[in-house]
Amino acid sequence: MEAPSETNNANPSTVTTKRNSKTKGKNNDFEFCKVCKLNHNQGRRHNYFPNHIKSLSSFLSRFQSKISDVRFFLKNPSLLRPELASRNRFWCVFCDSDVTEHGSSFACEKAIAHLASVDHLKNLKTFMWKHGGGMERVDRFQVSEADLAKYEQKCISMKNEGASEQSRGALIGPSNDIHNELKFDYIDNFDRNHIGSRNSSFPNGVLPLQNHTNEKYQVSQSDLSGGAASNTSSYDNKSLLLASNAKRSNNVQGKSSLTEGHLHNGLVYSEKREANGEVSSAGLLKLTQISSTVHNVDVGNVHSGAPPPWFDTTNRIHLDPAPKPGTKMDPVTKTVKSKLNPKRVGAAWAEKRKLEMEMERRGVLLTNRFDANWLPNFGRVWQSGSRKESLKEFAVEAKKPPKDEIESDSSVQLQPYISKRMRREANG
Amino acid sequence: MSYLLKTLKKKEEVDSMIRDTIDKLLVLRFGRSSDSVCLQLDDILSKSEREVSKFASIGLVDVDSEEIQVYTKYFDITLIPSTVFFFNAHHMKMDSGSADHTKWVGAFHRKQDFIDVVEEIFRGAMKGKLIVNCPLPPERIPKFQLLYKDM
Repeated sequence: MEAPSETNNANPSTVTTKRNSKTKGKNNDFEFCKVCKLNHNQGRRHNYFPNHIKSLSSFLSRFQSKISDVRFFLKNPSLLRPELASRNRFWCVFCDSDVTEHGSSFACEKAIAHLASVDHLKNLKTFMWKHGGGMERVDRFQVSEADLAKYEQKCISMKNEGASEQSRGALIGPSNDIHNELKFDYIDNFDRNHIGSRNSSFPNGVLPLQNHTNEKYQVSQSDLSGGAASNTSSYDNKSLLLASNAKRSNNVQGKSSLTEGHLHNGLVYSEKREANGEVSSAGLLKLTQISSTVHNVDVGNVHSGAPPPWFDTTNRIHLDPAPKPGTKMDPVTKTVKSKLNPKRVGAAWAEKRKLEMEMERRGVLLTNRFDANWLPNFGRVWQSGSRKESLKEFAVEAKKPPKDEIESDSSVQLQPYISKRMRREANG
Repeated sequence: MSYLLKTLKKKEEVDSMIRDTIDKLLVLRFGRSSDSVCLQLDDILSKSEREVSKFASIGLVDVDSEEIQVYTKYFDITLIPSTVFFFNAHHMKMDSGSADHTKWVGAFHRKQDFIDVVEEIFRGAMKGKLIVNCPLPPERIPKFQLLYKDM
């Protein structure tokens, strides 16, 4: 009895002190969680709440997607038009600052610089520490120095190339008319090299495809002659290809027939070859081959609005005759199969049936095309031996009943046994 | 009670249900919805259907309908309710200490008993076993007598 009373006495004071300390802590430390957009007094505990973790991950993934856009420009620096500079801005959630692109000549230049800055790294680390993001994720939200150095180098080289150009604004995104003009232009005055130098300023990834590709030939050629191009040769072939396609489609679209288009192409090439010598001729050879394979117009391409080739594959699946079950498994069923025990009851049957059902759904196979007399595998009560035997037995039984009835009918006329002597006596 | 579960009245329906239930245990109750023991069983089935829905599906078969006679003969159904189990169109047996291993005859005492039985059979099937032992104690297994060809 003593012990409980003691505890009772002791308890109130401790409880009150505890409560005091708790309430003190609670009242004092209201803070705003940027991630949850919420005022709370939980202190560090708040970081482990599921809601916080959820919103933190969405918060970070949102910013991650933004950064991935920036990273694209980090890899492929591209020129920024001055009139678009004001529209390009980048809100850094870690530093709570807006990075504008005023006065930068490359897309996301300032943003990249910001992401690589020491301040950003510091803010990022404090954020991660405060909100429990995990320090190993820091690398995802900043730009490393090596990347920045590479980027800067690329920018400088681009700038140098661009220095020889006249107007940058006019070069980007000319309309279709200009494109046509240019096309004829360069056929006529082929050896205008400055167009080429202008084009080479586009990196691999950011080609404004259709419109500029016409000039690509010259571009690369001039580059080669200048000796400045390291990667242009491969890039060149690609662009040639694109150009040929674009041109062809243009011709198809327009009033002029396809043959004209080819003629036109041929003209171009011949001119090319003359002008550029053996280096480009390899690429040109390739090009002619490609254009010959592309000959059938019915297929169409991106420019003529035809569906991409991979759409056809899906169609083919529909048209394919039913593959034999077991020979080819769908990837889906394969994964499922791997999860379930391969030795489970009726595993083979299940796989087969799954394929069938898949095809039935697609309309390749008829539904319910199984035999009306189909019966499942079943082991009967009085049956010994394999289950197939019970099916056989049942089949026999199913045939029997009429016979049984006949037999029973005939056997109904039972007669008492009468011995010969008795018969004789009866007769006599 | 039978309106809570899918009632099959044709052989094709039973066929397609057996064929289309893949990697799940199929529980087929043969009986008639007016029978009192059937009602008891149906009550248990309908209540536990949702709980076992991840690994089992349940169908009721009306033994009175003409087209089902094939199955009642094939499955040797003489007493109702009889419950037959299938997995991937393979018949699953259970040794419950009674005369008939091929089916469960009678109702279950409670819902949990049914769930236990279904789970045991499903686990056995996933391990490749065609026959399993009944997880229930003998006092909760309904007793019945089976006659060989009416003798």
